[in-house]
Amino acid sequence: MVDQNIHSSSVGTSFQRTDLKDKVLGIAKYTADLSLPNMLHARVLRSPHPHANILSIDVQPALKMAGVHDILTPFNVGVGKIAPDVPILDTKVRFVGDEVAAIAAVNLYEADTALDLIKVSYDVLPFSTNIDTSLEMGNPKIHAQGNIVNGGPIVEARGNVEEGFGQADYIVEDSFTTPDHHPASLEPRAALASWDGTRLTMWKPSRGIHADKAILAAALDVNPNNISVIGPVMGAGYGSKDETRTSILAALLSMRTGRPVKLELNREEEFLAGRRRHSTSTKIKMGVKKDGTVTAVHVKTVMDTGAYLSSGPGVVRRAGQGALYLYRCPNVKYEGQIVYTNTPTAGSYRALGAPQGHFALESLSDQIAEKLNMDPLKFRLMNHVGPEGQPGERATPKNQIIDTQPVEGGVPFSSNELRQCLILGADAIGWDKRDQITTPTGPIRRGIGMSMFIYRGGPGGQSNAEMSLDKDGCFTLNVGFMDVGEGSSTVVLQMAADTLGVLPQMIRLNSGNTDNTPQSPMTAGSTLTFSAGQAAVRAASQLASVVIEAASEAIGLTDAEGLYITPDGVCSMSGDGVKFADLANKSGLLKAAVSVTPGSKNYIVNSFGAHFAEIEVDIETGYVKIIKYVAVHDSGRIINPKMAEGQVRGGISQMMGFTFLEDMEIDHSSGVTLNASFLEHKSPTIMEYPEIEVIFTDSIDPVGPFGAKSLGETPCIAPAPTIANALYHATGVRLNHLPFTPDSVLTALKRLR
Amino acid sequence: MENHATKITFKVNGEQHTLDIDNRFTLLDILRDRLNLTGAKKGCDLGECGACTVILDGKAVNSCQILGVKITSSEIKTIEGLSQGDMLHPLQISFIENDGGQCGYCTPGFIMGAYPLFESKTNVSVEEIRLALAGNLCRCNAYGAIIDSVVGAIGIKVDG
Repeated sequence: MVDQNIHSSSVGTSFQRTDLKDKVLGIAKYTADLSLPNMLHARVLRSPHPHANILSIDVQPALKMAGVHDILTPFNVGVGKIAPDVPILDTKVRFVGDEVAAIAAVNLYEADTALDLIKVSYDVLPFSTNIDTSLEMGNPKIHAQGNIVNGGPIVEARGNVEEGFGQADYIVEDSFTTPDHHPASLEPRAALASWDGTRLTMWKPSRGIHADKAILAAALDVNPNNISVIGPVMGAGYGSKDETRTSILAALLSMRTGRPVKLELNREEEFLAGRRRHSTSTKIKMGVKKDGTVTAVHVKTVMDTGAYLSSGPGVVRRAGQGALYLYRCPNVKYEGQIVYTNTPTAGSYRALGAPQGHFALESLSDQIAEKLNMDPLKFRLMNHVGPEGQPGERATPKNQIIDTQPVEGGVPFSSNELRQCLILGADAIGWDKRDQITTPTGPIRRGIGMSMFIYRGGPGGQSNAEMSLDKDGCFTLNVGFMDVGEGSSTVVLQMAADTLGVLPQMIRLNSGNTDNTPQSPMTAGSTLTFSAGQAAVRAASQLASVVIEAASEAIGLTDAEGLYITPDGVCSMSGDGVKFADLANKSGLLKAAVSVTPGSKNYIVNSFGAHFAEIEVDIETGYVKIIKYVAVHDSGRIINPKMAEGQVRGGISQMMGFTFLEDMEIDHSSGVTLNASFLEHKSPTIMEYPEIEVIFTDSIDPVGPFGAKSLGETPCIAPAPTIANALYHATGVRLNHLPFTPDSVLTALKRLR
Repeated sequence: MENHATKITFKVNGEQHTLDIDNRFTLLDILRDRLNLTGAKKGCDLGECGACTVILDGKAVNSCQILGVKITSSEIKTIEGLSQGDMLHPLQISFIENDGGQCGYCTPGFIMGAYPLFESKTNVSVEEIRLALAGNLCRCNAYGAIIDSVVGAIGIKVDG
């Protein structure tokens, strides 16, 4: 008999992270943990100059070493490109740490010794380590197109800002900067390549194995059908970890030597050759009427992309979303410009440009509230964008999916509980007692600050999923996405299980190998739960129909009416039933395959939130202590509360690095990064970890799978402006330049006195 | 490299090993490259991240900072030696129950960092837990869940 009394309701419960057991046992295999027989180890020679042409490279002394098998240089790697501005190796180097050559040797020590024997002759060029010098006329071009990417800024506007400022009673403007912020995932980049004469197998930490396969195929000129990319467990990426030369160099060395080659970056290399968050310089101007109505917002941001463009265009656009959409306003304009410098490359890092954009916007918002003599929370309650969206006319044709980051007005959100975020957060932090907690005298000053955010995410690229009933009565969910350490595979499994009506433990998730998984977009932009989730739900739903149809035949019914799935098998109302294993054996392979284009033609799908912090500032040391932090998020339905809370707490703590500590210190006279190590690049530790209360709104999104929206990156957007506003409340000093190190806090306090 | 070799004898997880090792190898290299015990991770190789933490003669150490030639006669415990067959160590169980890891790269280091506290059999405060793990970085910043995990496994003093 099939037991009818078990039901699956995993969504909304804290189902255990599926890969955590292997991780606590120490048996989860990351790329660097893998090795193959006969494997060589690779090391990279990096440029000591920030900008130079390579005239020649003498590899003979190094090649004569017994343990050295091959050396790649710009002169023997062919003409393939990894990105439009990144050749496999180039005769021009553009930052201190840029790749010059790569060695394959029998072990790392031999490779290191051989590196010292390579003689490179450089023609050293003038260089620029900051935006200002890159923009000066007459400075050498870092790339042929010049130092301004695409020759000028992207411009996005709604209404007319000049008119908007004309209607304003007050106009407030200010400038803000943010640092070179490095994700510094604990797992450095690594790649293991194995070429068997016709076929390349690549193991690498990946947030998109199918995208990586395409990059490898193009760069190496190998038929994609002859490439397998396998993504082992990933020591996180936080949006970073792809597009570097690491995997390409390992692949090429393997193809030339005929032996497997492993290339592991060390910590210093991960800092230099990884991808950092773009440092920015922002000018922002906002106009308001005396009653507090916002009439215009104009933001100009310049971003330092370093030596190569990487994800710059996506990042610079996203930095404008807050300015264009967070406040209800008919007249907005955003101008975002990307500039090359001779510094380590910036790319995508958790929440892309949103933290930089919101730091300026939400700091200025408090300044405006002060100008209006209005409580900053009240100013936001009065002006935040509501569920109806922005004023204006929809420009997107009715039959087209709405961009998740539109410029146009006239389109409502699928769900928007920003107001609830503000109200719940204010209540949790004790906002109504805000003015009673300040301490105007003594060394310790208390204050409370807040900020809010909007973020695209949710709908991503076309997503595929396949699901089948296997002979043992369990199911396989086959997907092409990668869990980058955030737990997406667990939540997708939960959604598939509930859709099908079985337990998540009964489903095997197959992912991580391009050979046997369907195409899927990268794990990027907080789109996984929504997009891969939608595909998994659709596949599970389709499989449910197939299984019920087959069960009806197996039981001997004339139609499938009244049959339903339980975790134990398929049941009928009359009590007949068939267990999954029996069904699988009777009916052969039962499967479903779907392809979905996530998104909505009627609504903008966005996530929202508001953060609040109570802090203490020691005005004698400049040290800031967080007493309590409250984060309220509208991410739609929360699929796995414990994991979601961990994601929010972790994101906030990670951004305490951006807010208080982290910056890549680049020496402007030499181009050298001075703090490419964990000792000198201080990151948050368990010592400073504050109390963080996480609250989720009760929203259930009508478009997202099970009502879910996006969450992965959103905790990272509001921390910096929240702290900036709390610092101002506590001390009367506004800090416009991140990070707020004790030194910078003290300097600002002295200026005030 | 063989001319820079030294023969060493040591115990890992109760098992005796005698190896000829390259003098430049660290304990971490020996564990990972010679014994295929890859639970300890090479996050920095400079003693700055704690991902390679193992127990050396009862004390938690950064194995990347211990030269292989120095471990003769030592007893080493790694994350792989914590569970007994299917029986997980209470710290491991608690890290699972409290979702004490995200990407998991730092997790073995944190568990081994907390292991001496667990072994000390005395109740400890949250502050002592923080201090014991101050040298371990978690870039996912799962610190809250990590504290919960350690507290769950070893308990804390009532008076904190």
